Amino acid sequence: MGLVKYWLYRSSGIALFLLLWEIGPRRGWIDPEFAPAFSTVIGATWRLCVDGTLPLNLLVSLWRGLAGLLAATLIGIPAGFAIGRWWPAMAEPVEPLLRILSQVNPFSLMPVFMLFFGIGETAKVAVVAWVCFWPVFYQTITAIRTLDPELVKSALAMGVPPFDAFRRVLLPAAAPTIFVGVRVAASLTWFMLVAAEMIGAHAGLGRLLHNAAHVNDTNRMYAAGLFIILAGVLLNRSLRRLESGIFAWRDSQSLFGSHSPRRARQWRRPALFRLVLCLAILMVAAGMAVQRVNRQGEGGGERFLRPMNHGGHGAHGAHGSKPRPITDPDLDMSGPEWTMDPDETEQRK
Amino acid sequence: MSAYHKHDGGGGIAGKIVARDIGQVYQVKNANGASEEFVALKDVNLEVRRGEFLAIVGPSGCGKSTFLDMIAGLAHPSSGELSIDDRPITGPALDRGIVLQGYALFPWRTVRENVEFGLEIKKLPKGERREIALRYLELVGLADFAERYPHELSGGMKQRVAIARALAYDPEVLLMDEPFAAVDAQTRENLHEELLRIWEETHKTIIFVTHSIDEAVFLADRVAVMTVNPGTIKEIVDIHLPRPRSNAAIRSSVEFGWIRHKVWELLQNGEPVVAVPQRLPAQNVAEAISPSAAL
Repeated sequence: MGLVKYWLYRSSGIALFLLLWEIGPRRGWIDPEFAPAFSTVIGATWRLCVDGTLPLNLLVSLWRGLAGLLAATLIGIPAGFAIGRWWPAMAEPVEPLLRILSQVNPFSLMPVFMLFFGIGETAKVAVVAWVCFWPVFYQTITAIRTLDPELVKSALAMGVPPFDAFRRVLLPAAAPTIFVGVRVAASLTWFMLVAAEMIGAHAGLGRLLHNAAHVNDTNRMYAAGLFIILAGVLLNRSLRRLESGIFAWRDSQSLFGSHSPRRARQWRRPALFRLVLCLAILMVAAGMAVQRVNRQGEGGGERFLRPMNHGGHGAHGAHGSKPRPITDPDLDMSGPEWTMDPDETEQRK
Repeated sequence: MSAYHKHDGGGGIAGKIVARDIGQVYQVKNANGASEEFVALKDVNLEVRRGEFLAIVGPSGCGKSTFLDMIAGLAHPSSGELSIDDRPITGPALDRGIVLQGYALFPWRTVRENVEFGLEIKKLPKGERREIALRYLELVGLADFAERYPHELSGGMKQRVAIARALAYDPEVLLMDEPFAAVDAQTRENLHEELLRIWEETHKTIIFVTHSIDEAVFLADRVAVMTVNPGTIKEIVDIHLPRPRSNAAIRSSVEFGWIRHKVWELLQNGEPVVAVPQRLPAQNVAEAISPSAAL
């Protein structure tokens, strides 16, 4: 069948689902209080995008995710090389311990991290780094163990000094497999962040979602949830694109036939530098946003977390009726902002 | 005999590569768990002359690859001395190049960048590297593929790139460890002629390890026959076939068959065939070897 027809066919499952989501709440098959219609959610998402809430929270979450991933990579790759290549004798006593540690549920480790690092950014980045470390570490070890020994032999025969051999031969040869670890880590990050931000964060997509659930603002909650899903999918897609770009020099490996007959063009060094530069700029900008949000702390988070159905206060164009107060003190860890009347908050600023 | 290659060069008596009493012993655990010695190589003596093409033939496991690794500096013998130009071999260096069976091209580099690898180690400037790399790619006939990646090449082409890479930084000795074993038979015969052409243009000393007798006899000036358990050089056979050697002229000739048979017999641990049969040229190969084998 033709390409357009094929795409329609492939999308029909999703289309049906969305159709049900639209009709269900409107017809009362599903209580619209629990699940607003799809178009309402889309509208809410759009409004949150436009008034800056979603982009800013996205930036904050991205910063945490990237920082954690970077930390995990910087520790994980050398650790993998150490166990896999430089001190293989260490692998035997250390591996059982590492296996146990890697299987510990990271959610249950969050209180431990908070004990060590407090409630600030460090704790969240540390949790993300912990989660990202394991795939990167194990993939590095796998990469080293599945290296073609003749590659190393050829290089060594030319009298390459050991550090050069590492930089010029081992790293590039191991890079594709390690990147798979990075990709897995990135999707795990997204998964973890939403949970990690539910505790003591002042901003971030997870915080947005959790807070919206708190105040029973289902529109906002679904909007945040939808946005998180979309962002995660986009992230994964971009990483795959990146992978096929940077590693275009590999043999085509797809077992099930390639989805696109076009082969990606190999990224050369200038393109890589540009990518790193963009990421660096992103990190710096996002870092500033995170600092700003945290400095504003108690009061600042309020600006982004004010429920959508609140009467037109503040620069972020919230609108609707008065907010419902939090009644369960056990759930509330955010501090004084929730006991303050929003109007009073405005006057204080 | 017009292009017959002189072996001695200016070296005279002392060889280019001299191996004296090389031995290699491994400590292994036998079935009972006790540690015992496994003798991989014993009393290997070899002198490779400057500019010659020497082949080492032997069955699998006779240690020929280990021996080649020692010459390359990647392995150290338990006993004996190994020297190049009277300098002892202590480790790998740029005066020797190696070509391996699996091509071992760096897949993340283009063909040209692969060839430039050794030149980068020599710290040559970029323009010079590029020029030299392209020159050697032209030598092996792959100048048009300079910007391709290895996965886009066929096996024979990859091996040619590997040869160009090993030659680019101008080593004195080229070590080849069963380089054509992974290539299909037709391509292999073409590559033999290619290799001989490259050898005659560059005048390198080549040590070629193989388990194929045909290959060894076709290519080499001398063939060293190695036997297994323990690995040692049984005999070195002079190949007096005329050069330049071409597939058409040499492979079906009687002399080729006879020499090949001689090497084959050496590998069988039998008595070496020393007498030249009387009725040589106009006879078919089978009769020349043994009357009872005549078909």
